[in-house]
Formats: sequence, structure tokens, C-alpha cells
Amino acid sequence: MKTTMNKMSNTIANTMLLLGTLVCVPLAAAQNASPTPAPGGIGISDTDTGAYNKRDFSGLWARSAELYGVEPCPECREPVGWPGYGFFGNVPARTPEGQRRMDLNKPARGLELGSAEANKRTDLDIGLRRAILPAFGNDPEMHCEPLGLARLITFAGPGAAMEMIQVDDRILQNFEWTWDFREIWMDGRVPPNVEDYLPRFNGYSAAQWEGDTLVVTSVGFDDRQWIDQHGYPISAEAVLEERWDRPSPNRLRVQLTLKDPLLYTAPWTASTKVWALIPKESMAIAGWSGILEDRCVPSDESSFNQVRDRAAGLGIDE
Amino acid sequence: MRLRITAIGWLLCSLALPASAHHGSSISYDTAKQWTTWAKVVQFNYMNPHPTMTFEREVEGGVVEPWVSELLTNPSMMARQGWTKKKSEQALAPGTRVKLTLSTSRAGGFSGIVLGIQAEDGSPVVGGARPADAPDLDGKPGGLQPEGEIVLPGQDAQ
Repeated sequence: MKTTMNKMSNTIANTMLLLGTLVCVPLAAAQNASPTPAPGGIGISDTDTGAYNKRDFSGLWARSAELYGVEPCPECREPVGWPGYGFFGNVPARTPEGQRRMDLNKPARGLELGSAEANKRTDLDIGLRRAILPAFGNDPEMHCEPLGLARLITFAGPGAAMEMIQVDDRILQNFEWTWDFREIWMDGRVPPNVEDYLPRFNGYSAAQWEGDTLVVTSVGFDDRQWIDQHGYPISAEAVLEERWDRPSPNRLRVQLTLKDPLLYTAPWTASTKVWALIPKESMAIAGWSGILEDRCVPSDESSFNQVRDRAAGLGIDE
Repeated sequence: MRLRITAIGWLLCSLALPASAHHGSSISYDTAKQWTTWAKVVQFNYMNPHPTMTFEREVEGGVVEPWVSELLTNPSMMARQGWTKKKSEQALAPGTRVKLTLSTSRAGGFSGIVLGIQAEDGSPVVGGARPADAPDLDGKPGGLQPEGEIVLPGQDAQ
């Protein structure tokens, strides 16, 4: 067998180092430490002491700050011990109905079902230890179904970014992956009676300030969505509370709590999510700044899935 | 500020990509086992969630193997690294000879995930590289195929 050692250029090395860091850090963490469930607070590495408006969330935000050439944001990663990214936190037991619905969902992310790692990590909920080949799963994302609000917020794949546009009576939150958005109303309205309205994947969100924390209450969810990529279900009766704050000039933070007694035996508080502020000029391609239109296109996804299925030995005429 | 990450960070984790990343790719492919080969691009598709590429590799006896693959990277990351659609398609035009670093699918066969691409002059294409210990299996039939019992999580439920 011939072995060739090719010399990598600095560019290629940097590329791989970045990709490796973005996708591998969560795994390395998962393999080497126990999870830190739902901290009440989280350290902020931002050293900027400049003045800023704590009630202004406008800007471009990303959890992979390094990708944009700004100061690293360690707290933007999931707490040590969780596999990849997701809602995480203090995963509660399911009700019988919750377990039934969860069992119908077949995720392809998390620790591999039946693997030594999955069998070893009994400190993690079984929902995080049941990943199967995507060709055999039924993740709605893999058919370009809408992700839903909680999953949009908790998605933190390499490069994922979001934009907050704040005006007097509302915040528009734009998500790069799947090019989706939601609106947070701050005009004094209260969450609607969900039975009066069509369910939405991103629900109906009303907010009010508690000090410098914006407390958002969302209801009216379409129950076809998953809470995150691990296949946790959500019911149409669920209430999602988000507590957003800006603890430093360059950080945005949210604490999510899901109250869904139909499916879960207790309120579910997620691991704290933190974003880094990305200057407009740093989030740009050839001078065109802003988040990307990173759509999930059904025809492309279908084409991709043919390759995915081949990897599982499907669709081969041999 | 220019990004500074030590090479150790990548090398330590390059052999074990997280299952949670990239549409479950590391479950579909044995990313713990990477290998390299020369190949000729048949078709490259720049698309979400990940680009795909068909390619051919000539092996012993002049046999040509038709492979299908997905790329580990994705369009948003590629674009942010300067690999726009046009530039990528030009670099991977049909017939282009490239050196690939890939992992074979867990099910085996001519199916893999491309982790890195180098042009004939050694320059990187669409990002990616290979770990120093990835064996060069250019010309070997099948490249690196799974050995022993093939276990595909989730197959039993089909």
C-alpha cells in the first residue's frame, strides 16, 4: 500500500481547524465530562466595558463567533457534556402520552443507539442516546419541514446565525438556517387563547420587560415540530417562556423553559444559550453583509437524501 | 482578529466527528476511518444541506468505480470561506482530477463522505484536508471497506 504525505497549506489547515473546532468541540466535551444541567447563570467572557443599551437586542448574533473572526465565545457553546446542540437542560420524564409521541420520533443526532458511548452515558436522558442512520429516521428537518420555534433558537450548528431587529412594538428575529423568522410583540398584548387561532410552527409570542430581561411567552404551537434535533415532542398546549437579556455589550443570552404538562411531568428548563454580537462588516461575503439565505430547499433535500440513502445501503440496484 | 487555533485541536477530534453534526453524517459513514484516493469528478452539486458529488476512481486492472458522496462542509460555510457556487463548480468541473479524503459508508459499497479535496497542484478545494495518518488507497479496489458484521442503527425498525 502506497502512503503519500501531502503538505497542507496554511489556508487549508485553517479551514480544517475551524471546521474541526466547530463540529468537534461538543463531541469532545461529551466524551470527557458530565453534563452541567441548566445553570442559573453562565460566565460571560466578553471584556468590552463600553456603554450599551441593555434593552436593545438589535444586531447580528452567532454562537460560532470564531467563524466571523471576532473574539471567541466559549460560553456560546453548549455546556460541557451534552452531545452536540439541542434544548438540553434538566430533561424531565415524559408522561405516557409524551413517551408515546417521543417514541414515534426517530432522530439521527445524538449518541448512536446501541453504541458503547450511548450505553456508557447513562447520565444522559435516553432521548440523547438513540440516534440512528438518517435514512432510517424521520427527522422533519430532513424533508425541509419547518423546524419550529424552540429548534430554531437552539440550533447552533457551524455558522448558524440570527438577526434581531427591534422596533418600538416588536422584535423580528430572523434565523439563517432555513431562512425562517418569528415576531415578538411588545405592545402590551397577552398570549392568545390557542384554540382561537391556527397553530403555528413558531407560535404566537408576546413579551414584557422585567428589569432588563425581556420575558417572552409563546403559545399555539404546531405539534408536528420537534423541540430539538433529538426528537423531543411538543404539544399544541405547550407554553414556552424565554427570558432574554444582554449581559454585556457583545453577548445575548436566553433561558428557555417549556411547560407542556400533556407530554412532560415537569417544566423543562433548557441549558442557557448565549450568542456573540457579530459586527456587520464581519458577517459579509464579498462586501455584502447580513445573514445568509440559507434555505432548506425540498428538491435539493430530496436529491441529497438519495445520496444519504445510498450510505445506508438503500436504493442500490445490485 | 485573525483566528488562531492550534493544530492539535483539529487533529484530536478529526477522527471522531459528532453524530449531531451534518444531518447525521457520522452515523452514516465510518468517519473514524479516513483514507485518500485520486478521483475524477463526474458531477458536483452545490446545494443544501450538503453538496454532493459523484466521482470515478480507477483501480487495479483498469476497473473504474462509480462513487456517490456527500461533502462534510455545507454551502454557508463554504461561501463564508470564499468558496462561492461559481468558484466551487469551476474547481470541481466534470473531468477534474482531485485528491479526496473520505470515509466509506457504514453499509459499504461505493458510497462515502468527502472530508477534504485537493487539486492536482496540492491546493485545497472547498476546504478540508486529511489527517496525517489517513492511508492512501489510490488504485485499491473499493478503497477502505467495512469489515466484519455491518450494524446499521435503525435498520431493524424498517
